[in-house]
Amino acid sequence: MAYAYLFKYIIIGDTGVGKSCLLLQFTDKRFQPVHDLTIGVEFGARMITIDGKQIKLQIWDTAGQESFRSITRSYYRGAAGALLVYDITRRDTFNHLTTWLEDARQHSNSNMVIMLIGNKSDLESRREVKKEEGEAFAREHGLIFMETSAKTASNVEEAFINTAKEIYEKIQEGVFDINNEANGIKIGPQHPTTNSTLPGSQGGQQAGGGCC
Amino acid sequence: MFGRSRSWVGGQGKSKNIHSLDHLKYMYHVLTKNTTVTDHNRNLLVETIRSITEILIWGDQNDSSVFDFFLEKNMFAFFLNILRQKSGRYVCVQLLQTLNILFENIRHETSLYYLLSNNHVNSIIVHKFDFSDEEIMAYYISFLKTLSLKLNNHTVHFFYNEHTNDFALYTEAIKFFNHPESMVRIAVRTITLNVYKVDNQHMLHYIRDKTAVPYFSNLVWFIGSHVIELDKCVQTDEEHKNRGKLSDLVAEHLDHLHYLNDILIINCEFLNDVLTDHLLNRLFLPLYVFSLVSQETRKINPQVSLYLLSQVFLIIHYQPLVNALADVIFNGDLSVFIPQTGMQDTHSGGVRRFTKPPESLERLLELSRHRGRKRTQKRPNYKNLGEEDEDTHTRGGGGGGGGGGGSSSSREGADEEIEMVVMETCKVSELTEQNITDEEKTAAATRTHTQRSRPFLEMVYSALDCTNDDYHALFVLCLLYAVSHSKGINSDLLERLQLPVPDQERSSYSLVLAERLIRVMSQAAQPDGRVRLATLELSCLLLKQSVLSGSPCVTNTSKPLNVEYLMMDASILLPPTGTPLTGIDFVKRLPCGDVEKTRRAIRVFFMLRSLSLQLQGEPETQLPLTRPEDLIKTDDVLDLNNSDLIACMVVSKDGGQAQRFLAVDVYQMSLVEPETKRLGWGVVKFAGLLQDMQVSGVEDDSRALNIIIHKPSSNPHAKPLPILQANFIFADHIRCIIAKQRLAKGRIQARRMKMQRIAALLDLPVQPSTTEVLGFGQTANASPGGLPFRFYEQSRRAPNDPTASRAVFASVDKVPGFAVAHCVSQHTPSPLSSPSTPSSGSGSTGRCDSVTTSTISAQSPADDGTFLESTPPSSSCGEGEGGGPPPTLAPSLTPASQPTISLLTDSNADTLSVESLTLLPPADSVIPLPPPPKKTKDMLITRPFGVASNILMI
Repeated sequence: MAYAYLFKYIIIGDTGVGKSCLLLQFTDKRFQPVHDLTIGVEFGARMITIDGKQIKLQIWDTAGQESFRSITRSYYRGAAGALLVYDITRRDTFNHLTTWLEDARQHSNSNMVIMLIGNKSDLESRREVKKEEGEAFAREHGLIFMETSAKTASNVEEAFINTAKEIYEKIQEGVFDINNEANGIKIGPQHPTTNSTLPGSQGGQQAGGGCC
Repeated sequence: MFGRSRSWVGGQGKSKNIHSLDHLKYMYHVLTKNTTVTDHNRNLLVETIRSITEILIWGDQNDSSVFDFFLEKNMFAFFLNILRQKSGRYVCVQLLQTLNILFENIRHETSLYYLLSNNHVNSIIVHKFDFSDEEIMAYYISFLKTLSLKLNNHTVHFFYNEHTNDFALYTEAIKFFNHPESMVRIAVRTITLNVYKVDNQHMLHYIRDKTAVPYFSNLVWFIGSHVIELDKCVQTDEEHKNRGKLSDLVAEHLDHLHYLNDILIINCEFLNDVLTDHLLNRLFLPLYVFSLVSQETRKINPQVSLYLLSQVFLIIHYQPLVNALADVIFNGDLSVFIPQTGMQDTHSGGVRRFTKPPESLERLLELSRHRGRKRTQKRPNYKNLGEEDEDTHTRGGGGGGGGGGGSSSSREGADEEIEMVVMETCKVSELTEQNITDEEKTAAATRTHTQRSRPFLEMVYSALDCTNDDYHALFVLCLLYAVSHSKGINSDLLERLQLPVPDQERSSYSLVLAERLIRVMSQAAQPDGRVRLATLELSCLLLKQSVLSGSPCVTNTSKPLNVEYLMMDASILLPPTGTPLTGIDFVKRLPCGDVEKTRRAIRVFFMLRSLSLQLQGEPETQLPLTRPEDLIKTDDVLDLNNSDLIACMVVSKDGGQAQRFLAVDVYQMSLVEPETKRLGWGVVKFAGLLQDMQVSGVEDDSRALNIIIHKPSSNPHAKPLPILQANFIFADHIRCIIAKQRLAKGRIQARRMKMQRIAALLDLPVQPSTTEVLGFGQTANASPGGLPFRFYEQSRRAPNDPTASRAVFASVDKVPGFAVAHCVSQHTPSPLSSPSTPSSGSGSTGRCDSVTTSTISAQSPADDGTFLESTPPSSSCGEGEGGGPPPTLAPSLTPASQPTISLLTDSNADTLSVESLTLLPPADSVIPLPPPPKKTKDMLITRPFGVASNILMI
């Protein structure tokens, strides 16, 4: 399957906030959420289309590896996007965001796009963190924000795709060095020859980025 | 597509039906009918496998009979059967996803045991997938990672077979340790760490005996190859164009070190022995340390080597490793590279060299496995394996992982990928292998020449020389810092070497080191010194550490240097540059242009000043210029008797109105309202710094002023943020004018005060009019006429304009060198006699205080002609505070006078004495030594450096 770009994401956040469920919900529509089944996955890939281009998203859950400093470090560095997830029904998961964010900022490359996600928005009755609080946190730290529900699939698609759009824009602006795979972005194996404007425009972008 | 397909599989589409034992039975039926994968049933099979996953997880959470059925019918065998049919990517990916989900979501231990019990999982692990497909590769390695997260003392037996010496999960995973895809490599590391973490002696013995040598030797080679690539990147760089790539390589090296450290801190002793041996004898010593000396035969540049070694010491704290490494660097000589020297380490046959492992990892694993079977008795441990490696070395040579050929055709794609990496490194290996005996040659040669030299230490110390640049010196300082802060290094070793040990009592310090450090500082204090601020800061840090006993722990106002962060920055690996266009942080490059030179000079001054104070054990009394605790704050209650207050209406931007009294203090304007209980007292409702204030008239209202006060900001580029923005409406236009004048005057005086304080700080003479301004208490009714404006105007230009600064400070007869009060008698007082080369050598062996001061002062007078012009050297002996008491720092302590008001609180007023508030008039007496006893509130001006005044003129 040919793609123009491959973006690598990581999902971070406290345990039990529903990271792997979000991931499965996004990467595999066939698993339909039902009330008596909680199901997730630690890795997934999916093709999306942005601006007429096929973009493959590869998402790695980092759960269970936090105890090794070398591992978290490397994961952050290899990703172009990060979904930082908390659980709107558990205040503590929201309180830990700062720590997560510090870690992410310290280890990732400065261009990494971070999206803040308040998950489990279906559990309105048990809500402990107001939507406004999430918005304020995101504004303060320059993140994109969204409330999602892996159970109802609400906003899940948007969360992943908006992050991809942001990355894509950064590529267009020449912020990301796409030839450097360490950034979590890979150019597709067969570059679409039909789209002749792409390589040219990229070259222009890069030149533009280089001189400032 | 899949959404639609579920309708025919799942019957009526009711989720209840899908998640049920009955549905699983139906799925089983589908599987039995479709044992062969064809194009026609592929979609059906994929959906069936997927549905089974879903039902199993649902069963694990809701209905245990589901699992019983799955096991009873041995449905896992169907999966394997499908897998083995080369059924294609689509089915493979689905199976791997299913397995991932299965093992990730199973919550019941028993369910997990069932799944693992019949060895099917191991069959899947060793299945030769098409690893050239990046998605299959990713799903596969995730699968292994998920499994490794389930490892514990019980489950490990499902994966590790003691009798057959098989541990597929581990051995299959490490084959991808150098996979080109970073996420795969990370997963492999995770798997290995999860394995090492399991405390199972049998398994760990197996790991050590059968896999440790192959894996670690390849790992070490892989790291070394990165290092050589990194070095090449530094060497071929032009104008910092390689920085992007370089920072990736540096980050990669850090990743490696963190990974090694993560292994070492699991603290599995015998695994650590093998790893330490390999790291020390096949990487750190032969590649890093050896490159510090021997110009012709070294493999990487010494500066790269120093940089990397600092990283090693900053990150790895495993005692046996770092202690041995430090011992060689600081104590050893080249004889460590001569084989059979009877060094404590004979594990690797005595030869320390950086060579490519004889075979690819895969082949080595295979070899050691067979060997294990045939000759378990004869070769029971890894040491012998090492010898065996040497034997096969000639044969395996530059083959570049040819051993991988044994694998089946479906794996070839993946093998190629791995081999590509190996092949690349092969080129390097050929280069290095030619040099194999160079270490020995050089070593032998050196031995005959010198009896007991310490070439590495000598190199390290000589690299501290900053005459041309501080390229090497910065790394040496980092290395020394890292070594002295390493938890793994024996403090005995440090003490023997007289290296700075933080937080410890000491009786001696290394004269050589102290002298070199001081030399770095004196170079840094040169106007055109090629020493970066980071280098200077580190030298100060190390000097303090060297000579100060105990933990002085003086809290610094500025953020302390984080050496670990500094050493993560790849940009310092390239030769020091002056241009800000590189985007390199100011402290890590040289200044560019006059403004930056001034900035640098100011920072140098502050650093040396604080060092001097600390070495002399004196408290900081002059900085920061504005201390928050001295300022009036909202809700303070003040005695306003004898103060000039102007009533006004404050109309804020959002329309809020309040009746307030405007008062002007030394540094601040404040808005007060009367205190209800005490007559003549007021409560502060707002206080802002005059220096951040803008006052303008209001167009159609002669009774009103518009006042904006910005938030104080240390960053000159930050957008000013207003904390007050309001119209002040007074009773009539006269009061309005008075208020405006009062504010303007207050502002001028606040500025003058600060300028005086800065002048005092820099040992610059105080202006004649000072007393009038500062010592309001006595004579201050003389209103500053035109002079302050001139003063103000000029001082604005001062830093860049020598003429202006002369004008400002001209009326003075003091000289920079005078300040070295404590040492004045020890060095030649004539400021003109010493040329720009500092004679630090003479003073450096003395006690700390005289050392630093003499170094600095020796050069101080020499460098700035402008300054000398304006300051005749004749009066070089001290003056300044003289007999008079020094100025107080607290602005709120200043007594009331015209035209400002005083806002004294009770407690402060008690401690005030008139004399303590008078600023010294220029007096010609000698500095009192020791300083006269003072009241607690009084503060001393310390005058550390004559160089100060010079610096500001640069």
